[in-house]
Amino acid sequence: MSILRVEGLTRRFGGLVAVNDVTFDVAAGRITAVIGPNGAGKTTLFNLISGAMPPSEGRVVFDGREITGLAPEAVARLGLVRTFQLVKLFSDLTVLENVKIGTHLHARGGLFAALLRPGWAREEERAVAKAAADLLDFVGLGDLADLPAAGLSYGRQRLLEMARALAARPRLILLDEPAAGLNAEESARLSAIIRRIAAGGTTVLLIEHDMTLVMNTADEVVVLDFGRKVTQGTPHEVRNNPDVIAAYLGGVEIGHG
Amino acid sequence: MLGAVPWVFAAGLVGYALVAGGYMATVVSFALIYAVFVVGLNLFMGFTAQVSFGQNAFAAIGGYSSAVLTTMFGWEPLPAMLTGVCGAVLAALVVGYPTLRLKGHYLAMATLAIGLITYEITVEWQSVTQGYMGISGIPPLGLGKWTVTSDRGQLVVLIAIVALSLFAAARIRASRLGRAFFAVAGSEEAARALGIDVARYKLAAFLLSAGFAALAGSLFVHVVGFVSPEVYGLHMVILSFTMLYVGGIGTVAGPLIGALIVSLLPEAFRGFKDYQDLAYGVALILLLIYAPRGLSTLFRRREARS
Amino acid sequence: MGSLSYLPQILVSGLGIGCVYGLIGIGFCVIYNASGIVNFAQGAFVMLGGMVTFVLMQRAGLPLPVAAVIAIAGVAGLGVVVERLVVRPLWNRNATMFVMILATLAAQIVVERSTLLLVGDQPKTLPMFTDRPPLMLAGVAISYQLLWIVGCSLAVVGLLALFFRTTRTGKAMRAVAIDREAAALQGIPVSRMLALAFALSAALGAIGGILITPTQFTAFDIGVPFAISGFIAAIVGGFGRPFGAFLGGLTLGVIQSIAIVSFGAGLKNVAALSVLLVFLFIRPSGILGPAK
Ligand SMILES: Nc1ncnc2c1ncn2[C@@H]1O[C@H](COP(=O)(O)OP(=O)(O)OP(=O)(O)O)[C@@H](O)[C@H]1O
Ligand SMILES: [Mg+2]
Repeated sequence: MSILRVEGLTRRFGGLVAVNDVTFDVAAGRITAVIGPNGAGKTTLFNLISGAMPPSEGRVVFDGREITGLAPEAVARLGLVRTFQLVKLFSDLTVLENVKIGTHLHARGGLFAALLRPGWAREEERAVAKAAADLLDFVGLGDLADLPAAGLSYGRQRLLEMARALAARPRLILLDEPAAGLNAEESARLSAIIRRIAAGGTTVLLIEHDMTLVMNTADEVVVLDFGRKVTQGTPHEVRNNPDVIAAYLGGVEIGHG
Repeated sequence: MLGAVPWVFAAGLVGYALVAGGYMATVVSFALIYAVFVVGLNLFMGFTAQVSFGQNAFAAIGGYSSAVLTTMFGWEPLPAMLTGVCGAVLAALVVGYPTLRLKGHYLAMATLAIGLITYEITVEWQSVTQGYMGISGIPPLGLGKWTVTSDRGQLVVLIAIVALSLFAAARIRASRLGRAFFAVAGSEEAARALGIDVARYKLAAFLLSAGFAALAGSLFVHVVGFVSPEVYGLHMVILSFTMLYVGGIGTVAGPLIGALIVSLLPEAFRGFKDYQDLAYGVALILLLIYAPRGLSTLFRRREARS
Repeated sequence: MGSLSYLPQILVSGLGIGCVYGLIGIGFCVIYNASGIVNFAQGAFVMLGGMVTFVLMQRAGLPLPVAAVIAIAGVAGLGVVVERLVVRPLWNRNATMFVMILATLAAQIVVERSTLLLVGDQPKTLPMFTDRPPLMLAGVAISYQLLWIVGCSLAVVGLLALFFRTTRTGKAMRAVAIDREAAALQGIPVSRMLALAFALSAALGAIGGILITPTQFTAFDIGVPFAISGFIAAIVGGFGRPFGAFLGGLTLGVIQSIAIVSFGAGLKNVAALSVLLVFLFIRPSGILGPAK
């Protein structure tokens, strides 16, 4: 069963076609990876799916419902939450507060609850605090809850952003290069965390350059190059695909030439 | 522990004014009125990190509603105040909706213009506001037969209102609403990706802030008994920003501390009164250059070093 | 609205004030292009132009042209002072846009209040440059002051165009406006350009202030409405385009004088400010589209 389908998705920036007629499905409950050389259009693809920018052409269907052109907050409300390649934390706040903000969609207190704190609001606040603390433990940041978010190392900031996104209890989570800034050991731990996320029923779509992580974690891999989908298949199929090898070797060389 | 220092300082000053009465009580009363205004400003600018140079417009709406309703229509102060606050919030809703979509310099200039438009209207709409002459004979705060006329009595009422305002700010800070404000301040993009309706929370902060501004504007006219356009002029904007920066932007105690310091300092120097607004301007520039997150950060850094 | 026969008269008087708004608007653009800063103290220069000229004529007994030239030079100098004491330190500290706005607004208040202390709160005015009854042209009265305003403004705009096109400094300023970093790499002293921009912009404001004062008055607190009107002019012209700003100023002046006839002089600032708001809400990129 597919939970997300992108169809003929295209995005132009002036003359540049960053995403070019891309079509694929993401199977519910699985882990799908999007790979491709620098500048292949992966982040742009995420921006189009999450509503951060509208596509020039094509459509995005999430859970049977067309979400093309919806505002990001509306997309999030439907259960599709993303992280950012360049982390966007609330850096003046503590680690715990960052994750608490992630629970926004699943709490309901407004001004009235803030000022008068009726019983249900206190209850809700306790639940929020507990959920946030649990998620921090889940990603291994439990001991750092009261530090300012800006003080974390780069890799940990990514983990925090992931915990924050998970706090929104998404049905599909988009992770943009979650392993960037992690060492081999941390990266292996991340792989386990991602598998547990999927096992918990949240579909994962991730962008990653760390091939070990992709091969060990993903069930399905979509390969992009110059905005186009080159191929799609299991990690094993993709690894042996001559087009992919060409794209990677050629792309990296030419892309940086 | 150190967090208690500002509160002890404020309580000491206000307590002293309460005991001393007279002139000191008057000065602290004005400081407290400003504190209410700055609490509102802080919600919008400190918590939510938005920009408005036109909050004086809402103070004017509150003040003039109180003045006109009590003197021309014989209303009681309390319902007049309430009407003023509701009117200001409504006005904020009407202006805020289109204005808050603007960004950067445009937002700054548009809000500045809103303050100025309101000022011009209070000058020109003479049949209601009596222009530069102003409106006098505004009754003091009170309820039915019971009115607060003494300096100390007024101070007690104002202390209660400021305490409630600070309590509200503290509660908002520790709530889902406050977290949404801080999220907007931290990163609009991230906030939206988490399902936070950024436009809505900006507007909410704006309305709250307008409500506090109107309350302050209205308190002022009942305490002084007089209102004129100058009361809510541009200097009010600069003064309130100075207070916010002195006290510490984004903190709960900041507005009160800032309002007290900035109001009391001129009293410490004789003959300083004429130079007040000038000094506030200079002080604000120096603060922005040397302590852009407020005076409190200077102390914090020193603490960390020692 | 008044009868249609007023229309030419309204247009003519709108053009006068419009020129002044245009000059102020150019001032905004010059600084903005050099630095990305919107100087909220722009109105102080306008006020000071008229005020300093008045003081020099009254207290030092100088003739108008001499007083005016000294005033323009003095205000330009003050522009540099504002840049050095307020803008530069913040710029070096990478202050946020909001802090920069607040600081320049505070500078505005400082100038305003100093003026109040020095000359009092009574409105002052300057004599008409040419004291003769207005010319009548096809039933439209054209005052000599209006001719002075339009003439001087056009001359200033023309000189400015020459300056930007032909002089090395002017070209350098344009290079900075197009790409600050590239200009710095080419060895253009970007920070000196900022001081120059403030001087130029202050002088433009002062000229506007001197030209307009004989038709109205000047007082310590007239600056902010003028600044906002100049800002509107700059926006209407598509922010960052100096000559667009001048056209924007003319447009605003005409709209404002129509508003005066329709609603009375008291609400002229309200009318101008409403134009700003409507414009921002509907078409923030200006009539001519955004610069760059
Ligand atoms: N907002 C934008 N405006 C103009 N061009 C853009 C924009 N965003 C992306 N691009 C261009 O689109 C192309 C794809 O960029 P994108 O960030 O999607 O690549 P990517 O696959 O995520 O690369 P990386 O692995 O380096 O993160 C690049 O050439 C980039 O310069
Ligand atoms: Mg990317």
